Amino acid sequence: MIEAKNVSLVYENGTVALRDVNLHIEPGEIVYITGPSGSGKTSFLKLLMGIEYPTTGRLKVMKQTMSKINASNIRRLRQNIGPVFQEFKLIRGRTALENVMLGMRFLGFPPKKMHEYAVEALKNVGLEHKISSLVDNLSWGESQRVAIARAIARRPSLIIADEPTGNLDIDNAMNIMDLLVSFRDQNTTVIITTHATHLIEGKEEGTFIRIDNGNLSIERKGEALV
Amino acid sequence: MKSIVYNMGYFLKEAKTLFKIDLTSNILSILSIGLIFFILALVISGWDIMSFIVETVEREAEINVYYKEGLSDTEISKLLEDIRSVEGVGDVKIVDEEESYLRMKDILGDEAHILELFEENPFSPFIEVQINIAESDVILRKLKQVENIEYIRDNKRVLDRLNDIVSVIEFVGILVVVAVGISTLMVVSHIIRQGIYNNRDQINTLKLLGAPQPFIDFPFILEGFFLTLIGGLIASILLFVLLNYGYGQVELAIPFIPLPAADSLIRSIVTFTLVTSAILGIIGSLLGVAKQGEGFRG
Repeated sequence: MIEAKNVSLVYENGTVALRDVNLHIEPGEIVYITGPSGSGKTSFLKLLMGIEYPTTGRLKVMKQTMSKINASNIRRLRQNIGPVFQEFKLIRGRTALENVMLGMRFLGFPPKKMHEYAVEALKNVGLEHKISSLVDNLSWGESQRVAIARAIARRPSLIIADEPTGNLDIDNAMNIMDLLVSFRDQNTTVIITTHATHLIEGKEEGTFIRIDNGNLSIERKGEALV
Repeated sequence: MKSIVYNMGYFLKEAKTLFKIDLTSNILSILSIGLIFFILALVISGWDIMSFIVETVEREAEINVYYKEGLSDTEISKLLEDIRSVEGVGDVKIVDEEESYLRMKDILGDEAHILELFEENPFSPFIEVQINIAESDVILRKLKQVENIEYIRDNKRVLDRLNDIVSVIEFVGILVVVAVGISTLMVVSHIIRQGIYNNRDQINTLKLLGAPQPFIDFPFILEGFFLTLIGGLIASILLFVLLNYGYGQVELAIPFIPLPAADSLIRSIVTFTLVTSAILGIIGSLLGVAKQGEGFRG
């Protein structure tokens, strides 16, 4: 799924975001990435989504070499990713259902199937009663769930959630974490970043990556793979 | 293609949303495009009408030969023979006073009652001579040498003037077409760029979700298409009203001017206006979205 060999990312202003990253993530893995704000978590996710290029080293995501990838392959790659952005990136003035369906419209689903998957995803995140609500009127937590529904409805191979718990209280944050982990299966890898280490302290299964000043330390616990 | 068909409802809804987001600019753009196309439609109509008049006059190219009074039948027959013998001359026939009067009555139509003001028939007999318009100069020179001809009335000067006017209208028409094309493309591409700027967050999200560029562009292209099409429709309605009113006025004031049928003229100009506006709308939109695909990294 993801293979990094000596990958570094240095921004144009000279800031080193990631140093010499070596990593191998298999399909079906659940990966938690922790580290303080500004440690390089989001930069790592940007590399995976093709928003940034590795400065050095070789990074392969779903068989695509990211330093050589072209525009159409980036689109294809992103179509296989279910992203949950830190700031949600929902489309204002549209309903929850429209937002979820928007992520699927260009993936070739027939209209009925698309509608069915979107409704199912909103049910899975507990928002069946908010299907027709404008996202402008939803709470922070509800918007977060719509963003998750949009990610999972696409049937992606890789779910990437960047700080999905944000400023939620611990109970709601745990619920969001558990919800995301529940979508992991044999074909779907889930990567979650968080600066709140206490949310993953009790987890007994998964790959735990700690990023500090661009340096990674990796620990695998339990049955990392499904 | 399948994706476009599946999502046509979504694209139309998005185009409507884009329109509503910048409502004032869009309405003003439609009005300005409507007026621009109205000017274009007027010029094209003028061009069409003048060309029709010239063609009609050319098709019916003939000269009227007035002969000296008091000629005997034999002299008139000889005159007819002399005229027929000139190269480039077609049919030659005598139009007597009575027929002249009836012809004018036909031409004047509802206004023919003015002829009743004359106590006597004011028209003289003449010889109607069909000629090849291209050889009119040579024919006229030869006819002037024929005996017993008093005066020749030809349409050449009228035709020359009409052709001059058509040339000017043609030149103005080309300038107007170019001006309309450029200004429409500028207005549409500008409004589309403005729409892209207003929706940059949504576009960025779509790129991060892996949306293909045509999927992102299509609502903007539809917006541009509808902007100009509605503008073209406004121009067509204005033209329809103006031509219907104008035709009535011209037919009353100068009934003998041959005009093309109003229905077919309006139909052809409206079709031209709508097709041109739709095409320019699509091209303007494509220019507007042209640079959008460059930042594929989101």
